[in-house]
Amino acid sequence: MSKQVQDAYIVAATRSAVGKAPRGMFKNTRPDDLLAYVLKSAVAQCPGLDLNEIGDVITGCAMPEGEQGMNVARIGLLLAGFPDTVPGLTINRFCSSGVQAVADAAARIRLGEADVMIAAGTESMSMVPMGGNKPTFSPGVFEKDENVAIAYGMGITAERVAERWKVSREDQDLFAAESHRRALRATDSGEFKDEISVYTINDRLPDLTTREIKVNTRQAAHDEGPRRDTSPEGLAKLRPAFAAKGSVTAGNSSQMSDGAGAVVLMSEAALKRYKLQPLGRFVGYAVAGVPPDVMGIGPIKAIPKVLAQAGITQDALDWIELNEAFAAQSLAVIRELGLDPAKVNPLGGAIALGHPLGATGAIRVATLMHGLRRQKKKYGMVTMCIGTGMGAAGVFESL
Amino acid sequence: MPDHPLVVRKVAVLGAGVMGAQIAAHLVNANVPVILFELPAKEGNANGNVLKAVANLKKLEPSPLALKDKADLIEPANYDQHLERLRDCDIVIEAISERMDWKADLYKKVAPYLGQHTIFASNTSGLSINKLAAAFPEQQRHRFCGVHFFNPPRYMHLVELIACTGTDAGILDDLERFLVTTLGKGVIRAKDTPNFIANRVGVFSMLATIHHAERLGIGFDTVDALTGSLIGRPKSATFRTADVVGLDTFAHVVNTMRDTLPDDPWHQYYGVPAWLQKLIDEGALGQKTRKGVYQKIGRDIQVLDLKTGGYRVSDGKADETIVEILKNKNPAERFAQLHASSHPQAQFIWSIFRDSFHYCALHLESIAHNARDLDFAIRWGFGWDAGPFEIWQSTGWKQIAGWISEDIAAGKSMVNAPLPAWAADPSRIGVHRPDGSYAPGSNSYQPRSVLAVYKRQPFPDKLLGEERQYGTTIFETDGVRCWHTGDDIAIVSFKSRMHAIGDDVLQGVQQAIAEAENNYIGLVVWQIDPPFSVGANLKKSSGNTAKPAPPSALGKLFKSVKREAESLALKAARQIGVADQLMAGKLAEVEHLVEQFQITTQMLKYSMVPTVAAVDGLALGGGCEFVMHCDRAVATLESYIGLVEVGVGLLPAGGGCKEFAMRAAADAKGGDMSPFLQKYFKAVAMAEVGRSAEHAREIGYLRVTDRIIMNRFELLEIAKAEIRAMAAAGYRPPLRAKAIPALGRSGISTIRAFMENMRAGGHISEHDYLIGTKVATVLCGGDIEGGSLVDEQWFLDLERQHFMELIATEKTQARIEQMLKTGKPLRN
Repeated sequence: MSKQVQDAYIVAATRSAVGKAPRGMFKNTRPDDLLAYVLKSAVAQCPGLDLNEIGDVITGCAMPEGEQGMNVARIGLLLAGFPDTVPGLTINRFCSSGVQAVADAAARIRLGEADVMIAAGTESMSMVPMGGNKPTFSPGVFEKDENVAIAYGMGITAERVAERWKVSREDQDLFAAESHRRALRATDSGEFKDEISVYTINDRLPDLTTREIKVNTRQAAHDEGPRRDTSPEGLAKLRPAFAAKGSVTAGNSSQMSDGAGAVVLMSEAALKRYKLQPLGRFVGYAVAGVPPDVMGIGPIKAIPKVLAQAGITQDALDWIELNEAFAAQSLAVIRELGLDPAKVNPLGGAIALGHPLGATGAIRVATLMHGLRRQKKKYGMVTMCIGTGMGAAGVFESL
Repeated sequence: MPDHPLVVRKVAVLGAGVMGAQIAAHLVNANVPVILFELPAKEGNANGNVLKAVANLKKLEPSPLALKDKADLIEPANYDQHLERLRDCDIVIEAISERMDWKADLYKKVAPYLGQHTIFASNTSGLSINKLAAAFPEQQRHRFCGVHFFNPPRYMHLVELIACTGTDAGILDDLERFLVTTLGKGVIRAKDTPNFIANRVGVFSMLATIHHAERLGIGFDTVDALTGSLIGRPKSATFRTADVVGLDTFAHVVNTMRDTLPDDPWHQYYGVPAWLQKLIDEGALGQKTRKGVYQKIGRDIQVLDLKTGGYRVSDGKADETIVEILKNKNPAERFAQLHASSHPQAQFIWSIFRDSFHYCALHLESIAHNARDLDFAIRWGFGWDAGPFEIWQSTGWKQIAGWISEDIAAGKSMVNAPLPAWAADPSRIGVHRPDGSYAPGSNSYQPRSVLAVYKRQPFPDKLLGEERQYGTTIFETDGVRCWHTGDDIAIVSFKSRMHAIGDDVLQGVQQAIAEAENNYIGLVVWQIDPPFSVGANLKKSSGNTAKPAPPSALGKLFKSVKREAESLALKAARQIGVADQLMAGKLAEVEHLVEQFQITTQMLKYSMVPTVAAVDGLALGGGCEFVMHCDRAVATLESYIGLVEVGVGLLPAGGGCKEFAMRAAADAKGGDMSPFLQKYFKAVAMAEVGRSAEHAREIGYLRVTDRIIMNRFELLEIAKAEIRAMAAAGYRPPLRAKAIPALGRSGISTIRAFMENMRAGGHISEHDYLIGTKVATVLCGGDIEGGSLVDEQWFLDLERQHFMELIATEKTQARIEQMLKTGKPLRN
């Protein structure tokens, strides 16, 4: 059912390191500034690119308000110094916003409407909390029982998944500990070097002793989330964070984070014109809906859908970036679909690396494209569950 | 007068131990800037030791801090780097370990850095002030004295003030003013004798208790059952108090007595018993090591058993016959029965009182200026309801003196020294008289202190034998007394138990407001003793039913409801599901009261004269609503204010929800009010009670315009000053708000979404959810569009409607029943 006129290629994919929220290294770094930085870094990896040729900058953001409101895509690209001829669009599908941006950018190329597109994602959970600055729910939510789950926090849905898919507390904690182990191993061996653009943080802080403004400058070179002191035993001691008698804890859930990522996509014609080597090819993308109260199982529906679309089998996938919203839902998805645990998040996942909601998709595309290339693998996937009950999955081919 | 009037800009505390850190905490509670000194840390941050102590303050229970964050306002310092900072301090309080040599070293070190007018006071609990003064440079000695705080210093009222030979009298007066008004303490001038007054008598009483318990073979747990509230002492009684204080600290005080009082007739008893020394040697120091006379194993409280040397379950009880005796309200009869009984527990209680009386009589002259000081020291420092002399006097001085002398002669008392002649004098009827308290040294009756600071206390702590007239009655009903003190301000005080608010109180307050509007410049709601009020009492006034009222604060409130709930008609009605209609007849009474409540609180707010709630202790439920509606509240720091109705399945319906809805709208200043309203929702839904007046202000029960004060005996004067200030400013009641924005239906659903998660997570029950939904509905103004403008009555009608709907539910009634039966809330 391919309707495309041409392929879309990933030419550059980069990201910031991911900081902890709300008290991590990026707590004072605005998400529009961080977006501007990754946009600049991404186009810098495409020498000779005429920025005027960028068809659109599509940016995912899950809570697009406050510091990341007002169409942060356009603001970010202008702050990045892009010519004002470049348009910008902010999109939102919660946790899949970043990969949705990649898919939407690819779609424009595949339809022949653009030769150069940028997809990005940015999120500061330090500045705009989950649920936004003013969470509010329609009275309609309570008029129909099925709709009540709209109001559920993600943690409660994870508890439901753990219960219904029988994922034990022990398994969740083991999974979480393994995520940290993998993330640290990858960090220590420099696996993330290719994808991270090092942001220079300049915090301007009052020094009450000298009565001067002190500029605290640091280089954000590594993800802040992975913990060396994590162990299954330590995780087992944590109290349930959402349900009184539950199994989902702060330790086996994804971390709140700040971060941004950007991906440059081109048509074959543009590749030739600029004489650029692509990292890979965009293969396909699908989303699917599931009941809101078990939103974590979204990938169970989205993965088969995109594989059918792309015409490849699950076995053909060499690398799966499955967003670890919760260990409970990750394990439910892995078990239900029979995914190979060794291929899922080989460099660790959101439990260790963090999950800056709308930025995660773009960030993990960068991880996947550079990872596939280093390890000379072919097919990879970025997939995640989505609040209010959806799943998204994108397939990429390394070149 | 001192050469320099005392203005306390800043205080330094030397020593960040248990007492030093907590004294520093209490100073910041009183908004006094404080520097806390400790030895420099050997590694890391030189202030590490102080910072650790400050961090620990936040963990202590009960909290030494009025607000946890106030700990960070304590300025950390160490003796190596920061002695210069002492120059800016007007008072320096030394609270380091009780070692004469260490203290002397420290004095030498800091003396050169003290400001010209700095007062230097040692918080020693037992060392001689004159000996300490000798270690202080002579030219500064006139500014040296002792200030002895009691642990925990935020809560214990007593501070003993001890002069050394050369202390400037004016400095002591200044310090007393500071301690009384600024820190809210009760000051007793003590003589420089070992352990001063309270510890000397209090610790002797504990030693006598230990002695007689051993003699009569009474277990520690039984001793505590006998020596707690049954005889008017704190619930922690004898040994649990020792565990809380620390067995090592207790032993230290005892050893001080042994070492410094060689000629005391009771000297042979000044020793640490072998079992106690063994506990200390084993590191079982009481609460701080989780093991002492008692230990907690799982849920069991275990007590040391001297017979086996091990611990056993603590289940000691007072014998029922003894309880009967102790419940007798007539002290003379009570003591006669104890004295006559051969029951070991009766003999035990008689013996400890007898020896304490004996001890106090013999030592009064040497340790205190008069009998009043000794009694107050014990009451304020050890939490006894009455001092030893007060008990003795109320029991019949002559009779008791006779029995003591008989026991001395018979060799039953601990020592055979005779009672002093003044005490044995058969014509004596007591030591406290309206004109003063007995001072054996001068054989005179000394009146209370005439220092200016006590002019702020028209009604200081009561002493037995003092005649006390609380002003002139304006009118008196079953519910209230309205009175004045000879000026133009009316005062209304409740007569109900725990100052619960029933129909009679409501009518009385309404009458008082009318009276004040006609003949006075304002009305103060003030109670002679705390609490301010434990809330509504829905029981209709029916004269004095002299039943022993339930101890639970909410008990009375629910008695009538319980009766209805238990009625056969209601049970039958429940079965056929028409409870509502059948109950309607009786609930109409309840609804009438709710209505009267709302009328009264609105009158407090809109009367033509200013109204002030003078708050001390509990102000719960309806009591809190009174506080919220007066033009101003003046609250002591130790006020515990909260809307607690949700705890028994109801919601505030005396205007409490209405005030919070209005405050949220005002807080928002035209912007988004949801974060403010959600905060107030949480307070009501979680039945939050402020752990201090400052905490109550943080929650929102108190307003920024309300005053927080430190000394409850100054409360009435300050409340009246507020009335005068408002009246002088040409008081007009606030205009009635006609356009209050309500958060509306979206606000309700947003709060419901939050509760939906609590329910799904198993944190709250279905009934909690229902109550929460109703609270949200009232606070948000009901099922209307957000931003709609309503008036106060709109909220009041919602309060009443949803209160009545809740009280008609089985689950709320079950909560009320359980509260009545067990005093504990029911989760259903």
